[in-house]
Amino acid sequence: MRRSTAAAVGTLTGAALIIGVRLSVTPPEAPVAQAPVSNLENSTSAPSKKPAAKPTTKPAGDGGAAKEEEKEEAKAPEKPKSGLKDGVFKGNAAANPYGKIQVTIKVEGGEITAAEATYPTANDSGTINPPAIDALKQSTLQAQKAADVQAVSGATYTSESYVKSLQAALDAAKA
Amino acid sequence: MGTTVSIELADERPDLIDAVCAWLHEVDGRFSTYKADSEVSRFGRGELRLEDSSADLRHVLEACADLWRATDGYFDAYAAGSLDPSGYVKGWSVEVASHRLAAAGSHDHYINAGGDIRMRGYHPEGGPWRVGIRHPWEADKVSWVLALTDGAVATSGTYERGDHVINPRTGQAAKGLRSVTVVGPDLSIADAYATAALAMGEAGIAWLAKRAADGYDSAVVTDDGRAFSSANLPAAV
Repeated sequence: MRRSTAAAVGTLTGAALIIGVRLSVTPPEAPVAQAPVSNLENSTSAPSKKPAAKPTTKPAGDGGAAKEEEKEEAKAPEKPKSGLKDGVFKGNAAANPYGKIQVTIKVEGGEITAAEATYPTANDSGTINPPAIDALKQSTLQAQKAADVQAVSGATYTSESYVKSLQAALDAAKA
Repeated sequence: MGTTVSIELADERPDLIDAVCAWLHEVDGRFSTYKADSEVSRFGRGELRLEDSSADLRHVLEACADLWRATDGYFDAYAAGSLDPSGYVKGWSVEVASHRLAAAGSHDHYINAGGDIRMRGYHPEGGPWRVGIRHPWEADKVSWVLALTDGAVATSGTYERGDHVINPRTGQAAKGLRSVTVVGPDLSIADAYATAALAMGEAGIAWLAKRAADGYDSAVVTDDGRAFSSANLPAAV
């Protein structure tokens, strides 16, 4: 179980590094520092659905690990060997220049089985997100007289349309 | 190419105009799809092998392939079925002509080939060249005025050919945009981008927005008269 703990922490660190935030999870020794949450949207105050401190049921469908856990439980039933309690945990929201990112992990049988991050969709990110930068700005279509221009750009595909074009008028004025 | 070319030299070098005209006629003879004996027609019919073709034709074919990729397939020299690289050749030939003029000592000039313009330096009275973008419904009005000292302005629109700009993805007439103008350093690229965006329809607005990072700004008018422009469009003050 030492190895599995190390692997779990490794996964956790990796996930945190990828999105560049520090993830704070319940320290192994602390009893219930963080309430398990059920979803990303309204989670901070969500009541714990399972008592996290003392897993009494065997995790489903996890052969070897579960067996070992059973044995370990017999000796020290107070907490799972990885130091991680089952449940869904949400890290503190970490602010960066692009907005806030929050990581959620799912722990089953003392191991992290899923990790995901929320991405900023509002507020700060509104001015940073590429679509906002890249968009052409809309304005009122102007219709000005072609005064004081030397050349005119337009779709003139044929000689006939050229003859009618502003550029032809400019050329004629210079001739 | 079926277009008329206006050349204005602010420098007192009228002798250079003949060389530009000779080059453009050479290009027309080589690349006109209306001439059965042009190099591009012979290549298109399979009568000329790539390795036997001119360096210019090989350059044009390669550039068209690059632009096909860069525009997600919306700039397509084969859009009409047979090879027609005119959409690249026009801008490229003017780009080359302007380079040659500069090399020969003309630093202040513009060349306007059927509404696609390459300019350098300043106009005869001083100040940057001022270029109007034709209003897509009122032929005697302009909807933007740009000021440029070195660069290209290319406009594609459906108002001259009706709905005959083909979306190569669907084979149908392109809908959504009435006029697309692209401003940037190279006329052949600007022209191809304008053509591609027009073929994309309204999705072309978002596509064009991404080209601004490479120095190609744009001004667009939709079929229903909405106007869009990029933040760095060199509008005249």
